[in-house]
Amino acid sequence: MEDRMTIMVVDDERIVRESFVQWFRKSGHKAEAAASGFDALELLAKMPFDLLFVDIKMPGMNGIELLGKVKQEYPDTMVVIITAYGSIETAVQAMKAGAVDYLLKPFKPDQLSLVLEKVTQQKRLASEIQYVKGRLDQMTRFDNIIGQSKPMQDVFDLIPEVAQSDSTVLIQGETGTGKELVAKAIHAKSRRAQLPFIAINCGAIPDTLLESELFGYQKGAFTGAERPRKGFFEVVSGGSLFLDEIGEVSRKMQVDLLRVLEEKKITKIGDRFPIDVDFRLISATRRDLMQEVSEGSFREDLFYRLNVITITIPPLRKRREDIPLLVRHFLEKYSQQTTKRVDHLTKDAIQLLQDYDWPGNVRELENAVERAVVLSKARTLSSGDFSFLRAAAAQALRPRSLREMERDHIQGVLEESEWNVTKAAKILDINRVTLHKMIKRHQLTRP
Amino acid sequence: MNSGLKPIGVVPLGEVCELTVKSIAANILGYLHLDTLILPPMEHPMYAYNERRHQYDAGAMITAMESLSFPQCDKIVGVVDLDLFIPIFAHVFGEARQGGRAALVSISRLKPPSLTSQEALNLQMERAAKVALHELCHLYDLHHCMEGLCLMHFSGGLEDLDQTPLYLCRYCSLYLRDALSVKRRHQRAAEKNT
Repeated sequence: MEDRMTIMVVDDERIVRESFVQWFRKSGHKAEAAASGFDALELLAKMPFDLLFVDIKMPGMNGIELLGKVKQEYPDTMVVIITAYGSIETAVQAMKAGAVDYLLKPFKPDQLSLVLEKVTQQKRLASEIQYVKGRLDQMTRFDNIIGQSKPMQDVFDLIPEVAQSDSTVLIQGETGTGKELVAKAIHAKSRRAQLPFIAINCGAIPDTLLESELFGYQKGAFTGAERPRKGFFEVVSGGSLFLDEIGEVSRKMQVDLLRVLEEKKITKIGDRFPIDVDFRLISATRRDLMQEVSEGSFREDLFYRLNVITITIPPLRKRREDIPLLVRHFLEKYSQQTTKRVDHLTKDAIQLLQDYDWPGNVRELENAVERAVVLSKARTLSSGDFSFLRAAAAQALRPRSLREMERDHIQGVLEESEWNVTKAAKILDINRVTLHKMIKRHQLTRP
Repeated sequence: MNSGLKPIGVVPLGEVCELTVKSIAANILGYLHLDTLILPPMEHPMYAYNERRHQYDAGAMITAMESLSFPQCDKIVGVVDLDLFIPIFAHVFGEARQGGRAALVSISRLKPPSLTSQEALNLQMERAAKVALHELCHLYDLHHCMEGLCLMHFSGGLEDLDQTPLYLCRYCSLYLRDALSVKRRHQRAAEKNT
């Protein structure tokens, strides 16, 4: 039998309303009645209803009109149309307008019972879909990109907003911070989610190959082009194209990219006629592109084309509070993959992981956990299982010049004080003018 | 048996098989452990006849029964051999208002056509008892129950009704027990005051 529901009966005949309400109450449902479509809308504005039983023939606003308004304003509320004057046309009209069922008055008691069962099943299905959708969202948010720190929460908040628009996005972040995961999340939440997501690492492909990969070619365009091939701009066909390490592309490729972004047309290598392409571009870089622009190595016009929306992913050392959460996730992942039951970390191991600077960011942390799980003979990982990190840290502490050390120290203090020059100058015990000179000398820029 | 409550009045309206009335009273005592009192028959409810539908309005009959005073009874179960309807349904086997004072059962649609007369009568009496007990429980504020093997499971047709048992599931038994104990307390308090 059905779950308990909140039901409204909308009928201009008092006796019918009362009869319905009494029957629903006997079944344990919460039932209310409205004498007209206008009264029904007033009641709906006050409280939510799971189901409406609406008479088709009512003065003022008829049942079909009310159904239309309900579906528009309260799409989750289901409507059953009831009428004493049945015709196939009105039944079809009601179902087309979004009614879940159609009943002819008077009906057999089991017909009403069956309708309620049907509605209950639809309601359950809708809530299951809602639940699964919520779980999937949660998985995208927490299983793939993990973080509870403020900077990561800011990134999470930005993703759905960015996903709604079709603007180009530039994701900035050090290597291993999860730029591709953010790009995938944007795609997954966008209206293009059902279409392809293609990721290309521009830094890993030689320039000439990148051109043919992106634009495609015609047969005979160059030696070895034995058959025509579609490029990724064409293959992505309405989806999202993710160009990682965009800062690595050549000046010529920058011009080609700019043209594609401006015209949304490409011309295949060896072809004479351009074709229309539809894609959303998400690019990423670990470089400071603004700096590259000022140095003249990256086109300013392309930079502004790519940089409509910027998402900056903080390095792991800036969100150390996320490390235990990430470690737990990777432990679970690699324990499952290796069938080894390693699910604990000692306090000193966590401390070691939190103290380490992780130049390779999340990717390096993942590799470290994988390595420790594979080599561990115990269920609990201790700091000894991560001794290789100490060696890496020592390696990082190679002898450096005074100038390098000064630069790094000033940069660290500036970042610590969120680029508040007065505050940083106070920490460094120098005056602001000197600090400004040093920033200029070391070509330090605010991220 | 003394349930500590005033008895349930079972009253025929118009001409009804006497055995069926007695069977309903016996089943109320047997399954719900409530005392019963068979009342003298009331007049044929002509006032409830609906000319358009050629049926009797169950709601009108309940309203009429509730307007009468039955000081010796806690609740009333009317028994008729008439085809009943309520405005939304083509027909009903019985009717009661949640938490009301009077319920109604009709034996008109409960008689099986294909059985021999004694078997038919037995089945009809069993069905009538199920409907009467079900409607009576509504008077004690029990709702329809999701459990298939419970008297309070909603039966839309005869097939459903035949699958429904005469007893309540564990939860509905508890609800009824609670409702009756509240009723007893109120009755005792009322007796004290008088």
